[in-house]
Amino acid sequence: MSLKVTIKRWNAVARWTWGDHVDGDVCGICQMPFEGCPPGVKFPGDGAPVVWGKCAHAFHLQCISQWLTSKNSCPICRREWEFESSQGGPPVSFFLLFQPTTHSFR
Amino acid sequence: MADKGRIKKELTELSRDTKSGVTVEVKSEDMHELEGTISGPEGTPYEGGTYVITISIPRGYPFEPPKMKFLTKIWHPNISSQTGAICLDILKDQWSPALTIKTALLSLQALLCSPEPEDPQDAQVATMYKQDPAKFRQTAKFWTETYAQKSDGESAAISRLVEMGFSRDRAVAALAQAGGDETEAVNKLLSS
Repeated sequence: MSLKVTIKRWNAVARWTWGDHVDGDVCGICQMPFEGCPPGVKFPGDGAPVVWGKCAHAFHLQCISQWLTSKNSCPICRREWEFESSQGGPPVSFFLLFQPTTHSFR
Repeated sequence: MADKGRIKKELTELSRDTKSGVTVEVKSEDMHELEGTISGPEGTPYEGGTYVITISIPRGYPFEPPKMKFLTKIWHPNISSQTGAICLDILKDQWSPALTIKTALLSLQALLCSPEPEDPQDAQVATMYKQDPAKFRQTAKFWTETYAQKSDGESAAISRLVEMGFSRDRAVAALAQAGGDETEAVNKLLSS
């Protein structure tokens, strides 16, 4: 049995990339585009949210979380790291739940 | 596992860059062993030298700094004259994952411009740097000519000693002992 699908119309709701064509801003840690995937993450977008610090520097959540396990400072300006909550930084409980331990490599 | 995607990106970017005076070559298939070169900055005793640096990428990269060591011998207060080990904060506790292999190599170049004798890696060199700056410059320059220049640019002093009939190895050793002072080297050779 085969199923035939005809696409009549589509609406784009998001954009993402594997990171082969870098033209926009990249995460200062993994150097992949913000809309792309850091290593070990399968899905961009909600799978790899971008978070801001109070110093206004942004990284993938997974990337900055791993760095914060060794040092509580912004990798770019070295200021003490604090999530900027108004810009969509995760609540503390989410961050604690989410802290990755190891990165597997795709 | 180190972030291979990032290492690849860094290498691509480095191969495109012809201006900054640093190069990197891959030495192992897994891209974890690299070899970098930096050129000695103008206006320093290292001018004219090319310095080879071994780079080893740890599994935790970029959350841990790359391990770097001078393969080319160099006379500098913050670099061991015996092993090439480097004392530089960003390669240790001041590392940040926003730094790269390229920025680390550029920092080494900057270190050649401005030694930090108060935080030495080689006490003997640091002492000379502080107590006898002229002798330090002379020795550093001699090491540059002897170890960091392509063979065709061999030190004129070595050539003259070889012309006098001493073997090249002995001439180099004597000059190194004499800190590049040719007369002292001749005296050493004649008295040995």
